[in-house]
Amino acid sequence: MGVEAYRLAISSLIAAAEKGQGPAGEQLFAALYSELHRLAKRELARCGFGVTLSSTTLLHEAYLDMAAREGPSFPDQARFMGYAARVMRGLIIDHARERHAQKRGGLFEITSLDADAMEQPVDHRELVQISEALDDLAKAEPALAEIVDLKFFCGFSFGEIAAMRNVSERTVQRSWEKARIYLHRKIRTDLIV
Amino acid sequence: MPTLSPDDWQALSPYLDQALTMTEEQRAEWLRSLANQDRALASRLGALLDEHRKLNQEGFLEKGRVSLPATSGLVGQTLGPYTLVSQIGDGGMGSVWLAERNDGRFERRVAVKFIHIALMGREGEARFKREGNILGKLAHPHIAELVDAGVSTGGQPYLILEYVEGESIDCYCDQRKLDVEARIRLFLDVLVAVAHAHANVIVHRDIKPSNVLVSNDGVVKLLDFGIAKLLEGDGTVAAATMLPGEGGSSMTPEYAAPEQLIGGRITTATDVYALGVLLYVLLTGQHPAGKGVRSAADLVKAIVDDEPMRPSAVVVTAQDAATTSAAATRATTPENLTRQLRGDLDTILAKALKKNPVERYGSVTALVDDLGRYLRNEPILARPDAFSYRASKFVRRNRIAVGLASLAIVAVLAGATGIVIQTRTARRQRDLAFRERDRAGRITDFMTRMFKVSDPSEARGNSVTAREILDKASKDVDTGLAKDPEAQAEMMTVMGKVYASLGLFPRAESLLRQSLEIRRRVLGLEHPDTLKTMRALAATVAQAGRYADGEKISRETLDIERRVLGPEHPETLATMGQLAIDIDMQGRITEAEKLLQQTFDLQRRILGAKHLDTLATMDNMAWILMAEHRFPEAEKMQRDAIDLEREVQGPEHPDTAYAMNRLARILSLENNYPEAEKIQLEALAIQRHILGVEHPNTLRSLTNLGDIQTNAKHYGDAERTFKELHDIQLRALDRNDPNAAATIYNLGCLAALQGRTEEALPLLRNAVDHGLLPQYDLGIAMDDDLKSLHGDPGFAALVAYAQKHAEAQQSK
Repeated sequence: MGVEAYRLAISSLIAAAEKGQGPAGEQLFAALYSELHRLAKRELARCGFGVTLSSTTLLHEAYLDMAAREGPSFPDQARFMGYAARVMRGLIIDHARERHAQKRGGLFEITSLDADAMEQPVDHRELVQISEALDDLAKAEPALAEIVDLKFFCGFSFGEIAAMRNVSERTVQRSWEKARIYLHRKIRTDLIV
Repeated sequence: MPTLSPDDWQALSPYLDQALTMTEEQRAEWLRSLANQDRALASRLGALLDEHRKLNQEGFLEKGRVSLPATSGLVGQTLGPYTLVSQIGDGGMGSVWLAERNDGRFERRVAVKFIHIALMGREGEARFKREGNILGKLAHPHIAELVDAGVSTGGQPYLILEYVEGESIDCYCDQRKLDVEARIRLFLDVLVAVAHAHANVIVHRDIKPSNVLVSNDGVVKLLDFGIAKLLEGDGTVAAATMLPGEGGSSMTPEYAAPEQLIGGRITTATDVYALGVLLYVLLTGQHPAGKGVRSAADLVKAIVDDEPMRPSAVVVTAQDAATTSAAATRATTPENLTRQLRGDLDTILAKALKKNPVERYGSVTALVDDLGRYLRNEPILARPDAFSYRASKFVRRNRIAVGLASLAIVAVLAGATGIVIQTRTARRQRDLAFRERDRAGRITDFMTRMFKVSDPSEARGNSVTAREILDKASKDVDTGLAKDPEAQAEMMTVMGKVYASLGLFPRAESLLRQSLEIRRRVLGLEHPDTLKTMRALAATVAQAGRYADGEKISRETLDIERRVLGPEHPETLATMGQLAIDIDMQGRITEAEKLLQQTFDLQRRILGAKHLDTLATMDNMAWILMAEHRFPEAEKMQRDAIDLEREVQGPEHPDTAYAMNRLARILSLENNYPEAEKIQLEALAIQRHILGVEHPNTLRSLTNLGDIQTNAKHYGDAERTFKELHDIQLRALDRNDPNAAATIYNLGCLAALQGRTEEALPLLRNAVDHGLLPQYDLGIAMDDDLKSLHGDPGFAALVAYAQKHAEAQQSK
């Protein structure tokens, strides 16, 4: 059992965050963050050198892991992903920043796209801009921001997101397109200023 | 490019939604017509949509790799004779890996510690070397041994340490349910290791459970001298020698001493403090800064400013599941744990946890000595003064709670003045009778709300207090409301029902009988309220197992109802149903079946086949058929009832799920366990979905599931089910909830069934101590599941203990 004081189930934090209990949101973020971080490390330790781990897999693993640990009170996968996607974004950006600061390449990578795409990694400054614009968008239309987190940062397809939210794929795509207009406009504007 | 303010976006957003659903041509057309109404709007939208087209072509945000670079993936790397196997830890200072010897000479696993990449550099390296030096000096059976140190081919310095296969000391103690004394003895080994370090002028500075491992054979090993410090000549560590980021980030704030957090001088007393925290956690299951998730800043404040609560007070004041389980993992009850902690251990911990380092134990050895005195029952040297401030604060806080509770009772019992005044001012004048009724209703609502806390089917929160209120209120109800017999009788009925739902039938019955007497006197024999109390009394007496008495009351009620309400009144029919159960339970099954059939026919005709009362009767008929061991008929009746239930209330209704529970039970009695389990799981899924995981009915289904699995001899599954159930109960119910106690009892049975006697007895004892209902207490001796324990002296003692417990409960 150990110390009770500093551990709280993710499910309780989600419940508290949904009830709008102020600090719960931050605690939830922090808890999910360290959880995902831990899992990423674990997975990579297991898989070894130079592997590529998709963030989608990571999130699925995280869900299964936590749901198994916390039992039936754990929220369903769709609800969970809504929170976790935002956290994943934080994780990716922090690491991009860190990498930039260290000026050295990592030995493994987590990617949100097919590994065979082999495109250039997105510049960390651009990621930070996207993230800031997303935070902005989240204030106006949180649902749109969540779709960008799920799609861009976590690599879920329109189909998967649609299934999660029980809406049509077309609806998800429209939300995505709309969000993208916002983000693009916001980023360009910021560059000018 | 024009900026897009939040207001702009708000205004444009709905139009964008619309536009994005259209094809290119539709969109152009739509924009043109929009321009006729609002040119500015149309042109802004046009610009955004152009942008959209471009973004589509570019594939904005659809290309590019978003990636997570990380520090290391070292699996498979070799360091001299060792190969890295997996990462086992990642601290602020670096990462720790499990490695194996690869030269095949002998099998040895070691832990390899690398310094964190960000800490590389002159200082980091220097520090790392220091840890090597420190450990090199410390050869002690309770300190993890330094095997080797070196620099990898990649230029990374590393330490190779003894690999301790074990778990952190707190988990070790909890999993083995070590009692207080065993915990202290284990902790003494930690102290000896730290004392050895201190003798070598080394302060550990990061003592916490994860740095104190206990190997599988019970040997304590102190690890991680990563931030350890060599003491300066004057016996302190100058704060100025700390590395950047060392103060807050690399150390564990929960175990940090105040002086570490405020940048004070680090001495051996710093370790004494951390050891105090560790012992506090081991003994109470809680951190001295109290419970609850908090920010690091709050934690720091608590450590620096707040006096910790007395360990013994932690156990009594935290009235929750965690405390009960904390006690259980210490092989005792909260009450006993409190008793053990009170006095010397409170005092010893207070001294170790003093804010001011000079007031703490002067050395670890002094702490060892005092704990030794405690174990030998000798007077300890520490003086009990430390917790007075916090204790008085607690009493003050508690007094308010006590006061509030008394006030509520007074308000209700002293004629409910407050409520009456409110009624008068808030409502227009109405005739007296109506107002009286209104008031009674209010009192009832109020009381019911208060008592529901303690009703096991509603349980949440603090049952002890609610029970106390109930007990006090029921004692005072005779006198307190004597001037208002009608309100008094109403409250007695409510309280009687609550006592009945708590399984405290004698108390329930006495209240209901008093209420009935008053109502008969004041309202008359035939008043609807009088009949209501009679029905409650009949049900209670039956629940208490006195079916003959229950039958008498039911018959009496039925006579009046037939006369006053008519033979076909729904209430009359409901009483017929109750009577049938009374008769059935006395073994006159044919008679019961006949009466129930009659009830069923009447209900079908008068209320309709799909009326809820009719469906309830079908359930009861299935029950009777089951009791007669006419399982196929029972199964059919129950299946029909379920079909109707599905049709009337829907497939996802609680009643449907309840009826499915019954079916699962019948199937289980038919030894058709696979199907029983399947139906039970279906019912459970419905309940989880619509009622939630913590709802009493959901929990009941989980109990049934565990029961079915036990009957099917799938003991492993059953154990998992009951453990899951118990976890939920710990969270959702009061700590002495009879249902939770029943689950512990069931786990005890499962341990017994699998021959784990030494585990079964404490579980059963634990169940008795935590609210097991008297009928279970008295049934222990006859429980077939516990046969394997017969003949064990511990079992005989338990039976006697439970008997006493049951008697005490019933005489209350």
